[in-house]
Amino acid sequence: MDPAVLAQHLLNGTMLGVIYALVAVGFTLFFGVLDVIKFSHGDVVMLGAFTALATSTGLAAFDIDSTIVLVLILVSAIAVTALLGALIARFLVLPLRDAPTLNVLLITLMAGTVIREAVRLFYPQGSNPKPFPRLLPTGAMEFGAFTFRHDSAILLAIGVGAIVATHLLVQKTRLGLAIRAVAQDAETASAMGIPFRATVLATFALGSALAALAGVVNGLHYSEISFNMGLLLGAIGFSAAVIGGLGNVYGAILGGFIFAALQTIGAVALPFASAYKDVFAFGAVILLMAWKPGGLLAERSAERV
Amino acid sequence: MKPSSILPALLALALGAGATLGLLLAEQQWHVATLAIVAVAALFVGGRLGLGDRVYRNAEAHHRIVMPAAWTLAAFVIFALRGHDFELLMLCTTMLYVLAGLGLTVQFGYAGVVNFAAAAFVGVGAYTAAVTMTHTGMPHLLVVLASGVVAAIIGSVLLLPLLRTRGHYAALITIAFGILFRTFLEVNDTLGGPQGLKVPAFTLLGHDFNEAIVFADETEWSFYTGYALLILVVLGAAYTLVRRLERSWIGVGLDAVRLDETAASAFGLNAAAWKIAAFSIGNFLAGVAGALYAMLTAFIAPANFALGDSLILVSIVILGGLGNPLGLLPAALIVVVLPEKLQVIQEYRFLLFSALVIAILLLRPGGLIPRRARLWFPGGRP
Amino acid sequence: MTAPLLVAAGLSVRFGGVRALDGFDVEIRTGELLGLIGPNGSGKTTFFNTVTGFVTPAGGKVMFAGEDITALAARHVARRGVARTFQRLRLLTELSVFDNLMLGQHLVLDHGVWTNLFARWRLRNQLRAQIEAARGVLSHFSATLPDRLFEPVAALTMIDRRRVEVCRALMRAPRLLLLDEPSAGMTPDETAELMGDLQNVKAARPDLAVILIEHDMGVIESAADRCVVLDYGRKIAEGDYATVTRDPAVRRAYLGEEAD
Repeated sequence: MDPAVLAQHLLNGTMLGVIYALVAVGFTLFFGVLDVIKFSHGDVVMLGAFTALATSTGLAAFDIDSTIVLVLILVSAIAVTALLGALIARFLVLPLRDAPTLNVLLITLMAGTVIREAVRLFYPQGSNPKPFPRLLPTGAMEFGAFTFRHDSAILLAIGVGAIVATHLLVQKTRLGLAIRAVAQDAETASAMGIPFRATVLATFALGSALAALAGVVNGLHYSEISFNMGLLLGAIGFSAAVIGGLGNVYGAILGGFIFAALQTIGAVALPFASAYKDVFAFGAVILLMAWKPGGLLAERSAERV
Repeated sequence: MKPSSILPALLALALGAGATLGLLLAEQQWHVATLAIVAVAALFVGGRLGLGDRVYRNAEAHHRIVMPAAWTLAAFVIFALRGHDFELLMLCTTMLYVLAGLGLTVQFGYAGVVNFAAAAFVGVGAYTAAVTMTHTGMPHLLVVLASGVVAAIIGSVLLLPLLRTRGHYAALITIAFGILFRTFLEVNDTLGGPQGLKVPAFTLLGHDFNEAIVFADETEWSFYTGYALLILVVLGAAYTLVRRLERSWIGVGLDAVRLDETAASAFGLNAAAWKIAAFSIGNFLAGVAGALYAMLTAFIAPANFALGDSLILVSIVILGGLGNPLGLLPAALIVVVLPEKLQVIQEYRFLLFSALVIAILLLRPGGLIPRRARLWFPGGRP
Repeated sequence: MTAPLLVAAGLSVRFGGVRALDGFDVEIRTGELLGLIGPNGSGKTTFFNTVTGFVTPAGGKVMFAGEDITALAARHVARRGVARTFQRLRLLTELSVFDNLMLGQHLVLDHGVWTNLFARWRLRNQLRAQIEAARGVLSHFSATLPDRLFEPVAALTMIDRRRVEVCRALMRAPRLLLLDEPSAGMTPDETAELMGDLQNVKAARPDLAVILIEHDMGVIESAADRCVVLDYGRKIAEGDYATVTRDPAVRRAYLGEEAD
């Protein structure tokens, strides 16, 4: 294969991998602290993107430097999604702690639908895909068939930066310690004085903030967002988290890249029907899970007999 | 033991039939809304006051009369609608949702197996029916059965990963399958692609069900009447079998697998095998519903069997009362008929139903008609 | 001397870095009641989990009635006549007492489609027989429980729930019964009652072998024929109650180093 084409695939795959990783880390954090799969996460990503869009539309009236706009929309998106994530935890997930686990699954799934439908119905022309503002330098470097967009470098930097920041936060800060403690053993953590509820809410806020980031990066990369982008992203993010082993942050990151790789391989191997790349990727995930049900890096929770 | 009166049960049946007819025939939106609210309130209040219990025990005590009465009443409702095409179609669709919901009840309500691709399995049944009816001469009743079998088999393909994994993984796999299925259909032109497929009419003993039923005196019944009665019979059989399933040793096994796999294994149960069985039975019912749906609507497309539809089915099962087949009917009526009748909420129905399920899960997890303790002997204690 | 019913030899189980069982040997004969004691975390429940097939040991063997069951999954071990209760009560609280006992009977019940879905009269006959059997087992432990057969387990007191769990394990007349802290959450009187009832059952079934994990020494003293003490996954003492409690190694395990 032409090395330029290969490089292009690699770049695209890495871009996707970063986005998926951001989403997957959220899933894995939520699972870690509460043993729940927050199915609304994908739609929170979408909401982040739309919040950013709304903010930028609002700011368009003023003549502001695009870098500042970028910062502002990121801040607004993160604020909204973090708040929403915490609210979902507080009012939907925590109350159902003692109910059968499938109830939590359902309630978050329904919450996701509510978010998705709310955007579709109440955002002006919500059911149509919307162009996302180009806030990053356009222009690219070309090497034959390989095009390296300048904004890709920035987006990758943002994504990787966020992942590294999350890693540092989880490993080096008190909050991170609290999250890891609660994830391992909530009861003991409480006994040690770690505030359970606050930690859970903070975790959900953190994961949802990452979702906003994923949404904005996604929007900037594709220059377009739509109300149902969350569904597929959520399914992919969840798959990625599962592949890596639920509860394992590094597994989630790895899983994100693996899924991106699967999609890219699928697209390359079946060039005649690019839609099949999703079929291929999900099929591969199912097979992977049949082989290693706990994920590639071990899942971090066990049931006592 | 003093025999209890059969009246409460029969009264409840009559009210139910009346409410259903009223809901279907009402023309004005505010009539419909009022009726729906009153009916749901009645169910809640009745449950609170213990009336639900009384009616239930009465119905069970006299089940030899009440059951046939219920089905006869249902046939009567169909008869009453014989001149109304659209209303009959709605009733048929509702009944098919109940049928698929029965499948989901076995999977999710009894065995605890999550299935977010119920609509996909309905789709498998629908497409199987479409293809076999178009390309083979298989008798149509057999087609219905075959569609169910195909859905069950395809479901079992998903089972290997499912067996070794826990609840949320099953959720992921079924969601992935749902996406997979729809994508596969849309990309595949041999199965009609996104445009869909036409489905021939159901014929039985020479009678074409797509033709209106004309009598000697030139009265005409909607052709949907035939389908409605057919679906009623299938639903009756399915409902009876699912009810019996629950009240049997198999029902105990399924509940054990759902409630505590560890304890179940400790007493010899092969949890994986039981889950496969439940999953397959449920998908069989979904496939049958799909085949009937295909014949009913004469046209199917991938868009009919999307994730949203799977979630609607899950909503119906939760709303009605997880594990209680009785609740499926009012839930299906609310979810299927209400948006049709209340045009204002048509656009908002996904939003509303999701919010409704959230409310149910938080406030009344048992649903409209919560599941009761296993009643081994219909008459009460042995 | 008859061959032992259960022989565990050199069992090693590791969870991550922790050695839950570290070369554990133990035997039990038919009709024996063996008390298994040791400080928290010494590996007692892990031993049960290994025998019953929920955990696969890294090393060692478990022989039951001459057969190597080490690698068998839980449901296969159950088939061979091993029944257990759980440290954290594992009853299906939503369901009735009867349904829970029927879980214990699972391997004996008729799960055929014909009987369950169509030939309902056969099911009714089986039902009546099982109701009688259930009442019979319950009556060993309680005068009131047989009448509460169809009440949900959720409505029972803790001690009644423990009784139901023991009865569930006894339904199929197992050869080996593993009881994991049955007296947890009970008053001394209730515990005494439970042990008395257990002795009655043993008298009625002289071949039943029982391994009893307990923290209540009074129970062990009165019920156990023999004791085995576990600490950090290995056997540190064996013998009758008096011998074992006088053993300095045992005292050290429970009380720490003796002050001089």
